[in-house]
Amino acid sequence: MAASSPAGYLLVLALVVPVIGLLGMSVTALIGLRRVEFVAFPVLVAGLAVAGAIATTVAETGEALTYVVGGWAPPLGLALRADGVSAVMLAMAALVVALVALNARALFCADDATPDGRRAFAFWSLLMGLWSALNLVLVGEDLFNLFVALELLTFAAVPLVCLDGRAATLEAALRYLVFALIGSALYLLGTALLYGRYGTLDIGTLRELTQPDLATHAAVALMIGGLMAKAALFPLHIWLPPAHAGAPAPASAVLSALVVKAPFFLIVRLWFDVLPGPPSLPAAQVLAGLGAAAILICSVVALRQERLKLMIAYSTVAQIGYLFLMFRLTAEPGVPAWQTIGWTGGMLQLVSHAFAKAAMFLAAGMIAEALGHDRIAELAGAGRAAPVSVFAFGLAGLSLMGLPPSGGFVAKLLLLNAATLAGAWWIAAVISVGGLLAAAYVTRVLKRAMATPPAPLATRPVALSRELTALTLALVAVALGLVPLQPFELLAIGRP
Amino acid sequence: MTLSGLLLLATLATPLAMVGLCLLPAFRCRVFGLLAVAPLPGLATALVAPGGTLLLAPAPFRLVLALDAPGALLLGGAALLWSAAGLYARAYMREETGRAGFAIWWLLTMAGSLGVFVVADMTSFYLMFSLVSLSAYGLVMHESSARAERAGFFYIALALLGEACLLFGFVLLATAGPVGNQLIADAVSTLDASPWRAATLTLLILGFGLKMGLAPLHVWMPLAHPVAPMPASAVLSGIVVKAGVIGLIRFLPFGTPLADWGGALMALGLATAFYGVAIGITQQHPKTVLAYSTVSQMGLVAAIAGAGLAIGDTGVTGLLAYYALHHMLVKGALFLGVGVIAVTGSARRLPVLAVMTVMALSLAGLPFTSGALAKYAAKAPFGDGLAATLATLSAAGSALLMLHFLRLVASTSKAAPEESAPTGMALPFAATALASLVAGWALLGPATGYTLANVLAPAALWAASWPILLGGALAVLLFGFGRRLPRVPEGDVVVLAERAAPLVRALGAGMERLDAVLRRWPIAGLSLVALVLALAGALSLAP
Repeated sequence: MAASSPAGYLLVLALVVPVIGLLGMSVTALIGLRRVEFVAFPVLVAGLAVAGAIATTVAETGEALTYVVGGWAPPLGLALRADGVSAVMLAMAALVVALVALNARALFCADDATPDGRRAFAFWSLLMGLWSALNLVLVGEDLFNLFVALELLTFAAVPLVCLDGRAATLEAALRYLVFALIGSALYLLGTALLYGRYGTLDIGTLRELTQPDLATHAAVALMIGGLMAKAALFPLHIWLPPAHAGAPAPASAVLSALVVKAPFFLIVRLWFDVLPGPPSLPAAQVLAGLGAAAILICSVVALRQERLKLMIAYSTVAQIGYLFLMFRLTAEPGVPAWQTIGWTGGMLQLVSHAFAKAAMFLAAGMIAEALGHDRIAELAGAGRAAPVSVFAFGLAGLSLMGLPPSGGFVAKLLLLNAATLAGAWWIAAVISVGGLLAAAYVTRVLKRAMATPPAPLATRPVALSRELTALTLALVAVALGLVPLQPFELLAIGRP
Repeated sequence: MTLSGLLLLATLATPLAMVGLCLLPAFRCRVFGLLAVAPLPGLATALVAPGGTLLLAPAPFRLVLALDAPGALLLGGAALLWSAAGLYARAYMREETGRAGFAIWWLLTMAGSLGVFVVADMTSFYLMFSLVSLSAYGLVMHESSARAERAGFFYIALALLGEACLLFGFVLLATAGPVGNQLIADAVSTLDASPWRAATLTLLILGFGLKMGLAPLHVWMPLAHPVAPMPASAVLSGIVVKAGVIGLIRFLPFGTPLADWGGALMALGLATAFYGVAIGITQQHPKTVLAYSTVSQMGLVAAIAGAGLAIGDTGVTGLLAYYALHHMLVKGALFLGVGVIAVTGSARRLPVLAVMTVMALSLAGLPFTSGALAKYAAKAPFGDGLAATLATLSAAGSALLMLHFLRLVASTSKAAPEESAPTGMALPFAATALASLVAGWALLGPATGYTLANVLAPAALWAASWPILLGGALAVLLFGFGRRLPRVPEGDVVVLAERAAPLVRALGAGMERLDAVLRRWPIAGLSLVALVLALAGALSLAP
């Protein structure tokens, strides 16, 4: 634990490369570059390479990467660490950010001196900040350090919601901000309790120390509560639908695919790495129960939406529900959680949802650009105006419905498998019904989009290259369906 | 790679490759004319490659193609009917726009329907089953009328429900065995010792029964089959429903006698067989009557499977496939024939009607037709109790239903007296009808073990004939008093389901209101506090 891995510097690069981009953007005007995107793309390539290097190193060595900042080992100093799950999520984040950025280029490419240019500057710099913060959440080992990362993430995400400056999106952003801050306060309170009880916030150290007492349980409950608010777990999804539906499509894609996964990831860390002893079954039931309610209720609400982006946002709330089933499904007596099929299923659900949902938001954005609106009832003709986007939407939908071949299918299969082994029949039923509801809300859109419009439509052409980014994301979600149906070793690397 | 392996691969790859080629506009213009070619590798496979296997992807994926005897029977019949229907579609849909889109759905459905007969592992089977189930939606919805909309809705809703049942059933089956993708036969052999045997069997029968249209989950069939274009109806009713039959063949554990399960399936099947007839004779549209006849026939197939399961007879898989092959070709010919009659003038209709009569009564087991052979072979598993009597009586029901059909179809043509059907339609119709006879006679020995002497014995001929005479007598009654029968709408009990629509809508609205309430600030804040307390409490409880 004390020493850095030989390739540990990669973790630092994962945090610093986007920050370099952010700093570079603020001086572009000084060095004669008039468009910030010129800075963004080299940074994206570098960040993608770093994430790829981390993932391959972890997969090849079969060990977690560690970096001890300044050579000061915890509990005195800070450590960064990427195990198998972190490595997978780092790679996922880099890929999604890069593809979304390719799609966003045409939207945010104005000259720096114009009002649109300021918007472009805001978008690119926020994207960089968000990416760095996200990577920090994924590799941080210190609970306070993680708090800072989470705050950075929130502060980068909130302005993305209101980039267009309309009153409605400003209100949505404020709603997001206030609720996220309440969540932060709870998290901080829990951190303070843990620090008071154990005198350290390093997760690796806490794992050895924590005792099943009231202070620990109260602290973890506070932190998980706060994180649930930030992850928009039902019924704490007050902020998500307006925020994700109001943001520009590329921003929505990043928010829905990546940002809500960060607090979930921290809940996983707290649950498996900080809580003492075998996880509590009643608490797992509470989390899984909320997840089930999210799946059932928000899928129905998604089915009843009139706007495409709101429908996708509600679908996100429902899909987040699937992730929380994992806590119940990994509770196999005598087996470490990361060797259960529920662990692989949950993580695969997380990753395939990230790609599918990013694809879906980008596709919805392209469809809205082509038609000039995103009212589901009037989507007829979209199949002709933006065929590649509608196809991408359908492929992404395949994964959300859990139909083969797709990552969502394999995830659903593994989760059902885990539910059977755990004897949690109600979870199996919820997963099955959730798939049917997802099929209903996806086919409802596809059917309208493929219909012939009653009168010839005036549509705006959309760039094929931008449509292809959505398609690529959807194809990744489909390709995830090729992983074998068994516990996945990469996801268990570096677990204690 | 061996020749048989190559052929197995080509069976699947040909239609899929044609779908892929449709990305090229030049190919897309021509694809419709090539539909008849796409299933030919499948036909060659069925003739040349029984017993062949091909490992598509090694462990841990373990995707395996294999062709056993029941699979070969069904694959051959399906490829033949796909080819004939493809040829027929060229003439039938000559002037339609949107043919390229139709061709893509057609090819996808074809790939899935041929695929289910040749895959040997669980994952591939589910993939193929989903492919045929979901792509057929495109065929049902082709006419995009209000009627097609409604049919499509019920089709897709029930198909997805069936998928969900099957997926969970497969998961239960796989969980009972070792980790990873298993061969179907290996997974089924673990079923005996599985702690979830009852749940697994229920889900599998539900999933496959839905595809076969067992009552009361048959409602989609009389809606969906008539509404599609004629060649599509032929393959939907002839081939696509057989995905359920191959499911029963592959997944029911025929090796061990399961009297309860077999009895239940037999009861369900026989009930469906009679129910299909009872509702079918109230219908006034020839294609709808044919759809109800499929419901009834698949009920009988399920009953045969149940009988085999009850006595633990693995030989029943061959009988099931043989019966299904007979139904496939005969029902295909009948649907194609409805289209032929519609464009044939009264002066030239006699030969067509004659062929139609033979085909229709073949479903009731008319002597010397494939139906008589199939019904003769299917008797053994029933023994000689009540079930055997009911199975025989269902043939009388079929005769009644088919005479009703013939009467309807003879009076539908609007063509001028001297008009005759184009060769492109008449030829595939005649070929399919002929194939049903040839295949029935040629495959009797290999598939069932019976000889010509068995089926041509006077007792056997009489056993085949009297249900038809009984059916004829009932038909006379029907023609006389049929007007007094209630007019049952297409899809019968579906009307009850539709009555529940306002309730479902109210439930949805209720959830939306609940969501709106929960997303109010004070409520959300309270929920957060309550959740933290609940979580702390739950964590403090002993695990």
